[in-house]
Amino acid sequence: MEPQSKRRKEAESDNADFWVALPVLSDQQSQDTELIPAFAAPITDKKETSRLIKELRSLYPLTGLTHIKRVRSHKSADGLYSPQVLLCLVSDAPDVDLHSESLAIESLLPPDIVRVEGLGLPFLVKIPAFPPLTRPQFQLASKHWPTTFHEDKQVTVALRGELFGGPQKARMQGYMEAALAAARAAAGLGSGQEPVGAAMVDPKEERILAVGHDCRGGNPLHHAVMVCIDLVARGQGGGAYSFEKYPACTAAMSPTSSHSKPAAESSKTIARVVEEGQPYICTGYDLYVTREPCVMCAMALVHSRIGRVFYGTASADGALGTKYKIHTQKDLNHRFDVFKGVLSQQCKDLYGLKDPIKH
Amino acid sequence: MGTETEMNGADLKPGFCPTDGEIEKWMASAFDMAKDALENGEVPVGCLMVYNNQVVGKGRNEVNETKNATRHAEMVALDQVLEWCRHGDVDPQSVCMRTVLYVTVEPCIMCAAALRLLHIPVVVYGCGNERFGGCGSVLDVSAAQLPHTGTAFKCVAGYRAQEAVEMLKAFYKQENPNGFLTLILVPLACLWSPSG
Ligand SMILES: [Zn+2]
Ligand SMILES: [Zn+2]
Repeated sequence: MEPQSKRRKEAESDNADFWVALPVLSDQQSQDTELIPAFAAPITDKKETSRLIKELRSLYPLTGLTHIKRVRSHKSADGLYSPQVLLCLVSDAPDVDLHSESLAIESLLPPDIVRVEGLGLPFLVKIPAFPPLTRPQFQLASKHWPTTFHEDKQVTVALRGELFGGPQKARMQGYMEAALAAARAAAGLGSGQEPVGAAMVDPKEERILAVGHDCRGGNPLHHAVMVCIDLVARGQGGGAYSFEKYPACTAAMSPTSSHSKPAAESSKTIARVVEEGQPYICTGYDLYVTREPCVMCAMALVHSRIGRVFYGTASADGALGTKYKIHTQKDLNHRFDVFKGVLSQQCKDLYGLKDPIKH
Repeated sequence: MGTETEMNGADLKPGFCPTDGEIEKWMASAFDMAKDALENGEVPVGCLMVYNNQVVGKGRNEVNETKNATRHAEMVALDQVLEWCRHGDVDPQSVCMRTVLYVTVEPCIMCAAALRLLHIPVVVYGCGNERFGGCGSVLDVSAAQLPHTGTAFKCVAGYRAQEAVEMLKAFYKQENPNGFLTLILVPLACLWSPSG
């Protein structure tokens, strides 16, 4: 019989195509299209179109709705296209009785400002209240009324799960496997450790800088992310703790750490510290963590100026998507990209390692 | 200086809330710490944890020496409380549940979550922290529904707030030569003023 670990290795290396890293976008980027009611009318005489638009714009400029196209080409039941124009928002015409059988166009358009020649009977429509930020939002919005769309190509590709291709995906998998191994080591320790692991990576050098796991059995605040941040600090000659009694918590000592002479410090790391004047030593780094960080850990990553965060699976009080989206919080001075789903099944399986009694 | 306070957050266990006298006494200590820090060119935040009328944790910002951006005064003080418990061989949770944090500036989001995780029931603070505040200024982690993140805590806000703000302002002025960096690191003062 094959040893367990070998079988797992093979299974994992086959799994590259079974996970996909999806972006955790802000609420504005991921919410459903908000709609507001408006009046529109068919244009029955196309020759009047430009005059109508001009007169309507002067009467109802639709301020704050610059993403809305004034005219749409509407496909009717018989398959023919005909133009329709947006008159105004329902809120622009507070005195109009929406329940009356036929809406008098004069009640919306004073004849001295808009000549109604070429316009059909007004009707109610719903139009998108905000400009679409993503392609899915754009497609949904367009079902109601056409809008402009300034596409962020990277977001579109990311939402399709195609931002990370072949070799990059294999590297990401390797980093998450390091975090998974640490999580399994934590579970093996018993004594109150949660099965959570994390790995800090310098993506430019394609190098793992630190691997840590949950150590809350020793200190309730030593979540895997906090451990990893301190290990990185230690690797740079700082650090507040010793994790020596946890062999699976390791930091790659940089040649610039305090153990070597200052003269030997590479210009690069020094630059990282000096340029910014403060030790934001996670600047530009990627964190791989098996489950979504809690509020404390998410904010610790903000303070540490993390580059990107990749997590495997969501958590109940998670602060990078579930309960909060601290990485997109508008009042905070540092924002970053977050992706979830890296080796999601293996990360979920970690929960099975938890002490069944304590849970 | 205003002594107006404002209560919010979770309901306290009956009989557990610092008296006005206790607040005055311990906040005076916290302000002394902050003043001390300011005179030494350090972040002027004073922070202490009091259990049974004794100080069991006292923290100052240690971000620079540890190169770890999470070493805020509150985190350092919480570690000391845990150490105190280990030393005296007492259960940390039973101590933390009866420990009050006195701090001159509203704890940030991270520290507020850490206070929840350790079940600290009451936090008394001076001025708000508009940049990072976790007790309502940016997010209200102190009172949020987070069943897997410890216990919600009660805040007593606004004690000698103006004084706390002035100290932070003075700090930024003296720190100006090496820049905006400190501004980012430190719980920033705000134009918050005590209500009521
Ligand atoms: Zn955490
Ligand atoms: Zn803090």
